[in-house]
Amino acid sequence: MKLALELNGRPTELECEPDEMLLEVLRREGLGSVRATCGIGVCGACTVLVDGEPLSGCLTLAPKVEGREVTTVEGLAGADPVQRAFIEAHGFQCGWCTPGFVLTAKALLAENPQPSEAEIAEAFGGNLCRCGSYVKIVDAVRRAAGEPAGAR
Amino acid sequence: MGIDPRVAGAQRYSVDLERPGMLHAAFVRSPHPHARVLAVDASGVPSDCVTLLPDDVQDLHLYGCQVRDEPVLTPLARHAGDIVAAVAAPTAEAAKAAARLLDVRYEELPAVFDPVQAVSPGTPLIHPDGALSAGEAVSIGVRPLAGTNVCHRFRLVHGDLTAGFGEADVVVQQAFRTPGAAHAPMEPHAAVAEWEDGRLTIWTGTQTPFNLRGDLAVAFGLEEERVRIIAIPMGGSFGAKTFVRHEAPLAALARKAGRPVKVVLDRTEEFVTLNRHPSVIRVRLGAKRDGTLVAKELDCWVDTGAYADCGPGVATKLGYAGVGPYRIPHVRVDALAIYTNLPPNGAFRGYGAMQSIWASERTMDVLAERLEMSPLELRRKNLLRDGDVFATGEVMHDVQFERCLQAAADAVDYERDPRGKGLCVLLKGMQTPSRAAISVERAGVGYVIRSAACEMGQGVRRSLQLMGAQMLGCEPGQIDVPEPDTDTSPFDTRTTSSRSTHMMGRALEVAVRDLRASGGERGYGEVHNEGGLDPDTGQGVASTHWHQGAAAAHVTVDEETGKLTIEHLHGVAYAGRVVNREGAELQNEGSMIMGLGTALFEAIEFADGQVTNANLSDYNLPAIGDLPKRFTHELIEREGAEVHGLGETVLPPVPAAIGNALFSLGLELHELPMSAERVLAAVDARDARAAAADSAPEARVPVAVDGQGLSG
Repeated sequence: MKLALELNGRPTELECEPDEMLLEVLRREGLGSVRATCGIGVCGACTVLVDGEPLSGCLTLAPKVEGREVTTVEGLAGADPVQRAFIEAHGFQCGWCTPGFVLTAKALLAENPQPSEAEIAEAFGGNLCRCGSYVKIVDAVRRAAGEPAGAR
Repeated sequence: MGIDPRVAGAQRYSVDLERPGMLHAAFVRSPHPHARVLAVDASGVPSDCVTLLPDDVQDLHLYGCQVRDEPVLTPLARHAGDIVAAVAAPTAEAAKAAARLLDVRYEELPAVFDPVQAVSPGTPLIHPDGALSAGEAVSIGVRPLAGTNVCHRFRLVHGDLTAGFGEADVVVQQAFRTPGAAHAPMEPHAAVAEWEDGRLTIWTGTQTPFNLRGDLAVAFGLEEERVRIIAIPMGGSFGAKTFVRHEAPLAALARKAGRPVKVVLDRTEEFVTLNRHPSVIRVRLGAKRDGTLVAKELDCWVDTGAYADCGPGVATKLGYAGVGPYRIPHVRVDALAIYTNLPPNGAFRGYGAMQSIWASERTMDVLAERLEMSPLELRRKNLLRDGDVFATGEVMHDVQFERCLQAAADAVDYERDPRGKGLCVLLKGMQTPSRAAISVERAGVGYVIRSAACEMGQGVRRSLQLMGAQMLGCEPGQIDVPEPDTDTSPFDTRTTSSRSTHMMGRALEVAVRDLRASGGERGYGEVHNEGGLDPDTGQGVASTHWHQGAAAAHVTVDEETGKLTIEHLHGVAYAGRVVNREGAELQNEGSMIMGLGTALFEAIEFADGQVTNANLSDYNLPAIGDLPKRFTHELIEREGAEVHGLGETVLPPVPAAIGNALFSLGLELHELPMSAERVLAAVDARDARAAAADSAPEARVPVAVDGQGLSG
């Protein structure tokens, strides 16, 4: 079937199966930042923004995003303040989970520009980083929120 | 320079590999933990698929990094998930569907899942022909015990144990257990194999390109030069991507297909590919009334699963690290690496050190209580200092244990009030012997540094750029560090045991001197660290430099529910000299967080050899919400010191620090993880002891290990 959506700011028409997950469809489009990892929506490595809301690509049926805005990290083009904050805070190691954290942070800050530590932890409840970069990821969110850097 | 590809989402891993004409593989895995393959019927598999069946691997050889015991396809499944056949198809989905159409008939055999039981008389043998020969990666003498499931026995003998315990005023004994754990890198194992003119090329995420090359050359009966490994940056590894994993059956399938073949493992398959060694460790520790340690005995049952992999090395390191950073005149260690019908266990961040440090450092606090002494004072009194002789016979140098321990204690204000607080101090070694080589080439406005140091998120490429820039007098960005390729990268033992920055940094100094001295286009540097331990006595050189660290924990417990709250966790690693500040901090933080998972909730659960929590919902990984209320760490440096490895140092002390914090509240935990259920059981046991003591005071009864063991 045909799937029409706004993908990373551009009106796009894709081919997909009615029972296909968004993760598969986006990877086929060459969007390699969306990564198959746990397959059950707990790790957040395939997070995409759908109309600004973070969703797991592995649990979202592709036809559900018909007519909606879908954003992956490729759509941020490296110019986003959240991406810059992750670089400045060194909030990543192997980089596998990083796109999911960046998008989740973007969604959090759009809704809540000055999140508390508890709110940051809650927002990242569905994002896992096995390298354990969490301290610097929290620091990145604070930087992006315009707070001075500070250790936990 | 653009934005870092990891933050831009542009980083590519093994899962992203593409080769022209590539097929996709799926493995057929035994559902039984121990079963003979009687027949494989592939008649139902579609004609556009390629199958790899037992007959296709008749010409191939057993391989293994320390014991050659692993077949490319097994005719005898030794664990649930063992690979018995494989299928290649035009798509990954088609390959998985075809794999289900392959009909395998099995004869089930009796199986064993516990390392203590596996060495009891009458237990079925998992490798009846014994552990025969060793692979190229072996740096230790492997000592199998014929006619048993023991693939390696490591013993350490220092002083006279009987005399030592004779001198002791107080002796404590306790057994401890640790479960299997999943490395669970976010990126699963993936690779592409391709043959051209009888030469095999594999692109894979690996920490061990040269070991992989050597072992595959053995398996396929090739000269090493006929195998090329290109090591792709990894989305995490933690030991999971070491030696031969999925690459051998993939290479055989590509040979049969005559085309490149790619495989990406499912998350479920990750749990039967390589895990952390479960262990049982019994500690007996004796001291004088004044707290002077006089004797220590360690018996260790180390479950290496269906294949040895590097289990002999893990049992060795586990064995000597369990002695601890103390002056003890009489020591005996007996560590057995034991086959069971669990999936293979291998290198896991810390390489066995966590298991024995958990047991040994918990025992120190038990002893301190018996001596009515502060656990901090007991440790301080016995710590190794410069010039002391360790149990291996090594004279200690650049010793910082006391500084690490004191820093940990101070962070939680231990000396003012030790209640609810626990400490752990540790010694662990670096892969010894080993060799590292590197080259520096002039290129345009900068340099190319070639080495086989593999990137897995630890930042080794960045560290090489930073060290190179300092030595060459240029900007880090002017140095290109291509991915390891066994055809073009100088030899390196492997990217393990926190050795890369230390060894490669030394080799790079030599290479830069060579470049300058020759005035040419290329400089080459190579360094060796010589040594190794005698497997029968544990004497020799365990490590040419020591990883030294400590941790302190402050906990509170809800005694109604067993819920444990970590008020503060502090980690200390001796860095010698920090090369990459943020990278070193990330290593400390990541190690401590992984240690928290180990301490509090991570365990692979098995029922009759089947993993029952093989997904990231039932197997929990630490998330941001699991961080302690206060989470701090430090890197200790010393003017003029050499670079010390620190990629693993503060993982092993975390469980023991938390366990000792619980012990200070009267809660005795002997098994990981320290789940709410276990904490609650410890609360009940403490209250029952108190009630019993009110009526009839008596000495504490040590917990014995079931089974007889072999260590007499």
